[in-house]
Amino acid sequence: MNQVLVMAIKDLRLLFRDKLGAFFIIGFPILMGIFFGMVMGGPSSGSDRAKMKIAIVDLDQSTLSAKFISQLADNGSIELIETDLEPAKESVRKGQRLAMLVLTEGFGETAGIFWEKPPTIQIGVDPSRSAESAMLQGMILESIGQLAGQRMGDLSSMQDMVKKSREQLANDKSISSGNRLLINSFFSSLEGMTQSIEALQTDADDSSSSPVENGGFEFAKLESIDVSRKIDPASQAGQMKKIKSKWDISFPQSTMWGVLACAAGFAISIARERTQGTMMRLQIAPISQSSVLIGKAVACFFSVMLVISFMVGLGLLLGMRPGSYPMLALAALCVASCFVGIMMVMSNLGKTEESVNGAGWAINMVMAMFGGAMIPVMFMPQFMKSLSILSPVKWGILAMEGAIWREFSLSEMMLPCGILLGIGIAGIAIGTSLLNRE
Amino acid sequence: MGNSIAEVSALKKSFGDIDAVNGLSFAIQQGETLGLLGPNGAGKTTVISLLVGLLKPDTGSVSIGNSSCAEAGDPTLTATRRLLGVAPQALSIYETMSAQENLDFFGRLYGLSGKKLRDRVNWCLDFAQLQDRAKSYAGTFSGGMKRRLNIAVALIHEPAILLLDEPTVGVDPQSRNHIFESIEALRERGMTILYTTHYMEEAERLCDRVAIVDHGKLLALSSVNDLIEQYGGASMVTGDLAELPKEIELPGELTGKSIRFASNTPLQDVAALSAQGVAFQTLNIARPNLENVFLTLTGRSLRDG
Repeated sequence: MNQVLVMAIKDLRLLFRDKLGAFFIIGFPILMGIFFGMVMGGPSSGSDRAKMKIAIVDLDQSTLSAKFISQLADNGSIELIETDLEPAKESVRKGQRLAMLVLTEGFGETAGIFWEKPPTIQIGVDPSRSAESAMLQGMILESIGQLAGQRMGDLSSMQDMVKKSREQLANDKSISSGNRLLINSFFSSLEGMTQSIEALQTDADDSSSSPVENGGFEFAKLESIDVSRKIDPASQAGQMKKIKSKWDISFPQSTMWGVLACAAGFAISIARERTQGTMMRLQIAPISQSSVLIGKAVACFFSVMLVISFMVGLGLLLGMRPGSYPMLALAALCVASCFVGIMMVMSNLGKTEESVNGAGWAINMVMAMFGGAMIPVMFMPQFMKSLSILSPVKWGILAMEGAIWREFSLSEMMLPCGILLGIGIAGIAIGTSLLNRE
Repeated sequence: MGNSIAEVSALKKSFGDIDAVNGLSFAIQQGETLGLLGPNGAGKTTVISLLVGLLKPDTGSVSIGNSSCAEAGDPTLTATRRLLGVAPQALSIYETMSAQENLDFFGRLYGLSGKKLRDRVNWCLDFAQLQDRAKSYAGTFSGGMKRRLNIAVALIHEPAILLLDEPTVGVDPQSRNHIFESIEALRERGMTILYTTHYMEEAERLCDRVAIVDHGKLLALSSVNDLIEQYGGASMVTGDLAELPKEIELPGELTGKSIRFASNTPLQDVAALSAQGVAFQTLNIARPNLENVFLTLTGRSLRDG
């Protein structure tokens, strides 16, 4: 056992002293992860965040609703696009807009009148950007508050409104006489106040107004609406909804590049030992042939585990949140075992470093292409999806995604993990047999 | 097995139609340096591979060790391998590991650790004269330094038998001389060495006994002097005479004033000629060597391959 460890440590040391090899194992997957993350998630900072793109649907089509839209548009943080209900929903669903606002019918009748039933504004928000939606709600309330201020400034409109409200009060039999007296008294005071303001305005010829504070009054009723379609959880779209971060997809994908590089690196190192003659020294040393091979396998296994750990660590820093760490550990163990087997077979693909390198990477590229390390399997055409089941990379990514965002149960993990272990065991058996025969 | 520490008997190994080793038998005596001398393709490296158990013979047997070695037996046995130290013809060292790391790694494979390992690593670095480059990657070494490290690695576990397969191939004269001195030092320490080479000068200088092999067959095995005596033929005397002698029968052919003749007793023959008044302006006596032995045995020169 001690000699196996001595072998493994030597191989890890040699692997990481090869600067180009180390780059392909660690550096390249990081670049791939970040690149694919950016491609899939889009930028999450800068100008995109500075202006929130909002779709607005004006079902009221009143002067007040138009005024509200104009005030909201004046806010430098919002970019408004007026549209109809369905296109608005679709744009939020597709992630083109952060949210949609619907100004319901009757919005203009009561907006900004704090004693009336508040107008309803429906909001549909992209679930992945809930933090920004809170900011949007604040801006909506601010605009409604400004509307109330303008209402108070428009005295003739206010007087008409009070008159209309008095008539409604007279006709409403459900209100008790005590409350009726109280409300009438309020309306009288309000009429007096508007007349006084009118007189002052005439004297001062001052038409400016100040916004009314909204503290203590409900200026608008914000009602959430569901922008999503009813999605089958088992469908691709349903699966996609489980993704919490753009790194959830790109990191398993890019981790596999590191794993592939490890397998190729160790396969090449076995070929190099053969051509350099150091394999001969190992074969005539007082250790069994299987110890030599186990040493290689252990080193490859550890380097794969190291790559996965490193990539998960980096993913965590960037915001990836694995659903289950034990499942992730299980996936990592199975991926490592699988690619140890593949490495063993790969090392027999040629007699020289060059031939093993060429053949190894050719196989790696095909496995990566069909396995989803370049384009996620879910985005592939059907025929490629069918072929992908032949690629160990697909099962590796699936096992890691199962742990990270697919919320796989242990029984669901059994399929990818079982396949990975099966490939690993078969690869180790075939590779060992070929190396021994040689 | 007597005093021999390794024995091969009726060894045969073929690769397809080619008989690489064809009925070879010999024994290596404890403490001797035995040379395997033959041209490229004679089967020397195959013999080494059979001796260390890398190849299995088609027929015949290999036995390593003697009654003084607890691990004696077939070289394919893991324990028996501890008795062998091998410096293969191809440089078998890790180029991206330092000299010290190479020695440390192989020492650990042979079960060394702690102070014993440190002492052996230091001894080997001294032996290879690489102390000042101990921490440099082997890939940065000159060809001679790599060869020395290659031999040092074979010595890390103090083997009972050191197998050196063409250790001076591709080495500059200075490094070659250093390797000779190192091997002579090992001989003085009583180490048993099997030395394969196609350079007869090396075999003559370093080996107690020489086995001449060609096409996988053992042609002769004895001490250098015995081989020369048996198969080397006569010495060759060449010289320029001061003047052409009259009435004296010369032993060889005369071209102008130059004389050339073969003799088994060259000094006596030259002395007899001088006594008869033959004066030599120049004189050269070429003793037969292993090249002549090989020529006699095979009809070809060693360098013809």
